Amino acid sequence: MHHPVGPRHDGRVTTTAELDPARAADAHPYAIASARGLTKVYGSGEAQVHALRGIDVDLARGELTAIMGPSGSGKSTLMHCLAGLDRPSGGSVVVDGLEVSSLSERRLTKLRRTRIGFIFQAFNLVPTLTAAENITLPLDIARRPVDRGLFDEVVDAVGLRDRLNHKPAELSGGQQQRVACARALVARPSVIFADEPTGNLDSHASGEVLAFLRRSVDLLGQSVVMVTHDPRAASYAHRVLFLADGELVAELTSPTQSSVLATLAQLDGFPKEK
Amino acid sequence: MGRIGLRAVTSHAARFVMSVLAVALGVAFVTGTFALRNMLSSTFDEIVGASATADAYVRMPTGTGATDLTSAGAVGKGVPLSSLDAVRATDGVRLANADIQGPVTLVGADGTAVRSTQAPSFALPFHADDPTFTHVEGRGPTNASEVMLERHTLESSGLHIGDRTHLVVLGKATEVTVVGEADFSAPMAGATIVLLDEATMRAAFAPAGTVSSISVHAQPGTSPSELVQRLQAVAPAGTEVVTGDQLRQETHDAIAQQLGFVSTFLLVFAVLALFVGAFIIANTFTMSVRQRMREFALLRAVGASPAQVFGSIVVQAVVVGLVGSAVGVLGGFGLVEGIGALLRRMDMTLSSRVPLSASTILVGLVVGTVVSVAAAALPARRAAVVPPVEAMRDEVTVNERSLHRRGWAGLALVVAGVAAVVVAAVRPDADRAGTLLGLGAAAAVVGVLVVGPIVVPAVVRWLAAPAVAWWRPVGRLARGNVVRNPRRAASTAGALTIGMALVGAAAVLATSTQVSMRHVVVSEMHADYILRTEWPDTVAPEVVDKVKALPGVAAVHGLPFAEAPVEAKGTTTTQGVAGIDPAMLGTVLTPETVEGPAADALAHGQAVVDTTYATDHGLAIGDRITVTGPSATQTLTIGGLYRSVALGAGVVTSPAVLDSLVPVAQQTDTTVTVVAAPGADLGAMRGELTAIVKPYYVVSVMNSDEFVQGLAAQVNQILAILYALLGLSIVIAVLGIVNTLALSVIERTREIGLLRAVGLGRLHLAGTITTESVLTAVCGTVVGLVTGVGLAAALPRVFHDQGLSQLSIPAGSLLSMLALAVAVGVAAAVWPAVRAARLPVLDAVSQE
Repeated sequence: MHHPVGPRHDGRVTTTAELDPARAADAHPYAIASARGLTKVYGSGEAQVHALRGIDVDLARGELTAIMGPSGSGKSTLMHCLAGLDRPSGGSVVVDGLEVSSLSERRLTKLRRTRIGFIFQAFNLVPTLTAAENITLPLDIARRPVDRGLFDEVVDAVGLRDRLNHKPAELSGGQQQRVACARALVARPSVIFADEPTGNLDSHASGEVLAFLRRSVDLLGQSVVMVTHDPRAASYAHRVLFLADGELVAELTSPTQSSVLATLAQLDGFPKEK
Repeated sequence: MGRIGLRAVTSHAARFVMSVLAVALGVAFVTGTFALRNMLSSTFDEIVGASATADAYVRMPTGTGATDLTSAGAVGKGVPLSSLDAVRATDGVRLANADIQGPVTLVGADGTAVRSTQAPSFALPFHADDPTFTHVEGRGPTNASEVMLERHTLESSGLHIGDRTHLVVLGKATEVTVVGEADFSAPMAGATIVLLDEATMRAAFAPAGTVSSISVHAQPGTSPSELVQRLQAVAPAGTEVVTGDQLRQETHDAIAQQLGFVSTFLLVFAVLALFVGAFIIANTFTMSVRQRMREFALLRAVGASPAQVFGSIVVQAVVVGLVGSAVGVLGGFGLVEGIGALLRRMDMTLSSRVPLSASTILVGLVVGTVVSVAAAALPARRAAVVPPVEAMRDEVTVNERSLHRRGWAGLALVVAGVAAVVVAAVRPDADRAGTLLGLGAAAAVVGVLVVGPIVVPAVVRWLAAPAVAWWRPVGRLARGNVVRNPRRAASTAGALTIGMALVGAAAVLATSTQVSMRHVVVSEMHADYILRTEWPDTVAPEVVDKVKALPGVAAVHGLPFAEAPVEAKGTTTTQGVAGIDPAMLGTVLTPETVEGPAADALAHGQAVVDTTYATDHGLAIGDRITVTGPSATQTLTIGGLYRSVALGAGVVTSPAVLDSLVPVAQQTDTTVTVVAAPGADLGAMRGELTAIVKPYYVVSVMNSDEFVQGLAAQVNQILAILYALLGLSIVIAVLGIVNTLALSVIERTREIGLLRAVGLGRLHLAGTITTESVLTAVCGTVVGLVTGVGLAAALPRVFHDQGLSQLSIPAGSLLSMLALAVAVGVAAAVWPAVRAARLPVLDAVSQE
């Protein structure tokens, strides 16, 4: 039995009629990304691994959502499926009104180029391009003009003004992640997916990055989905979803570091279904 | 540790495919060269064994030997035919025959000359008792209108016994009947061999009563050395007697030396191919080592010594080298078998002995393995010295050593090389200017390769500018990918640079030669028509007489020519001696420079000598030279000096003097100039000339344009051979680009994933890799062509005296090389681009 976890704003229970892709956007005016019955199986036979065991989730527009869970809980797989980087084994994914799970490779590429921004844990930047070129890369790929006003605003916000002509190798880890954040923002995507964005950073640098992500949500109305295993990072989110063994097991709204820690402690005793 | 090395090869087999292929191609070239040499050498040995069967030879002390199958030789004094009777009467002589040989042209069943490319066509006298050849069918010739044909000649002529055809002897065609077929015990390598009766042979090719040698067969019971002793008593003064074995050994040595030149020439290209292959191997190992740095650090951390790490990589290089050379050795023999089959189809039958020898196989294996290990040594060393602490670090950084030292060293080489070339160009008359030019050019090319890591990125930045500006973001990404690792970019492009430098130089040399030839012909020869044969065919004197009789013809001059020993100030050299009508000088023939009253000198029976020959021997006007011909020996006074590329003879006399030295039958006249009277109808004259030469089969009529084009076509043939040989190194260079791209795709998996994640489409990705490839290929080509053309530009200055007077840079050919580079770049990118486009985005992103 799965318990749909709805967005905080309406709290409605999802009905099957709303799973119709054509009506998905109407059905969830506040959801930027939704999954229904999402499963992912790796391998076959003896070696089969159920990474996701039927996830129903709606991620709210204009919010910072954190996905947490222990290693192997399927949190990264969930993000990859939501972001169109990986194909689900079953179920459906809708991002910004588009049924992602059925898109062709070409349409997926276009989706990533126009509606999705990415921040990875490491290796976020193309080493041969300068910081500025990395920031405008998605726009260059899409052959869209750079909004200079937004560019300046973002660059100032991440504090990289004097670093724009440096290559990634000449930047610190924190600076590199801030460049990645700026790149994700400048293209004005519908949603930004961040995979352990502070995983490689010290606490000061990660604080900067997280504060910036939160500000981009609060001030610019950007939607951000972040996978993390760091309770402090999760505390910057509006909502935290907890995964264990490929299932959604809990959620917290307006989390604090201690409430996240408490929930995680509680989950350690969560009965396994195997 | 050896096991770790082997595992690395087997688990990353695909990574080493290109390296193996590169070694294989280079080794195939080396083995093929040696195998070809063996095949040719055994072919010629069989020919010598089959055609020089006598026990002893009476011959002139100098000269090229009795059978003279390989070279035409100079027509010095010969062994008098009159001594034949005395030789025959000597005790222990079973039979003795005069060795006479002369060029002839046989007309085949289809009415054209029987000839296979490059193989000689000649006549030998028929002796019923000669064991050299055996009767197959029919009978021997008895008079001038009968011929016997060698088996392969009969086959390729399409004639049959009893057929009537024409034989061109000394430019004159006579009707003959094929009366028999003879067989030599060895395949004659495509030579066209006609047997004539002895009287006809003597009349045609021994008009002065002398021959190159007399071959003597001993009676049973008489040993060759006894025979030689007895013959020495009767041999005419000035001749020597040698055993058959000695003569065969001498011939064998002479052939071996000739083949040595050929194989050295081919080996230069083989070494080039291997050198280029080494670039690929070095690149592969550098990248493989870089990727496995952490693994090596770990091995060091658990106690492996640097030597063990080094050894584990060398083991891989040995495996790559051995596998590659084994494939290459097989390929080399296959190549030679293929060449043999091709030649057989062209009627050139070569020795059927398999040219496989243990030493050739060994050389192939050793060369391939050594090249492979040598190329891997530097990267292996780098891996060996990695500090164990690197294993603990997250990101393994490979410290790129500064390029300063390399830059300065390369620059010094380039400067020294160019300086040497400039010195050679400025003082072309200095001793060894050619050697200086060669060394300078080699130093400059090596220097360019050494400064590659500095030059290549700069050139690529410049070449990439349009793509960066107009094809965003592909151009910028591609440029960044090429430039990011200057050493790798330089060695990948460098492989192409070497080949292209030679292509550029060859192209400049070829067009400059063509333009110079045109210049020479236009400025030194002034004829309306030229009657021309291919050496050693000659234009018969009677053709000249017939043309003289034509209405509208103002002047007809032959350029008869013979090679003869010429003695000047105590040294004897073989020189070309030409017979020039004094009336030609200043009219038909205007040599570049003439010193002294040359025309008068010729008219008075004096000689005019080539300036270079005069300088080499310290001769001046008024000095004397002695020319020895079959008919006479004459001492001539030098009455003038000349320099003419068109003529190219060391000594010029009047035709009358030449005739008195060398019988007309032994002169060769490949060029007859025809000058029309003013107002004559040139079109009609051409028809008349064509009608006159038609029955002579070997003569063609040309105007000076066609003459030049004919010469140019010969240059183009040589250029085509050079291009074909250089082609291999370019193919290997292309493999190098494929290799570098494929490996860097593996290396950049995460970066590619990132690009795909932020929305780069597959086509864009393929475009990026293709652009990288094209940039590398074009950069290598541009650097190579600029180097080659720049260095070759010095050639006309240095070799001005040898007739290379004009510099011409073939813009068309160079542009087509650039176009080729673009095509090559696109082709090389296909496989790596497809691989990259197929990388699943997620694998790329989440790869650890």
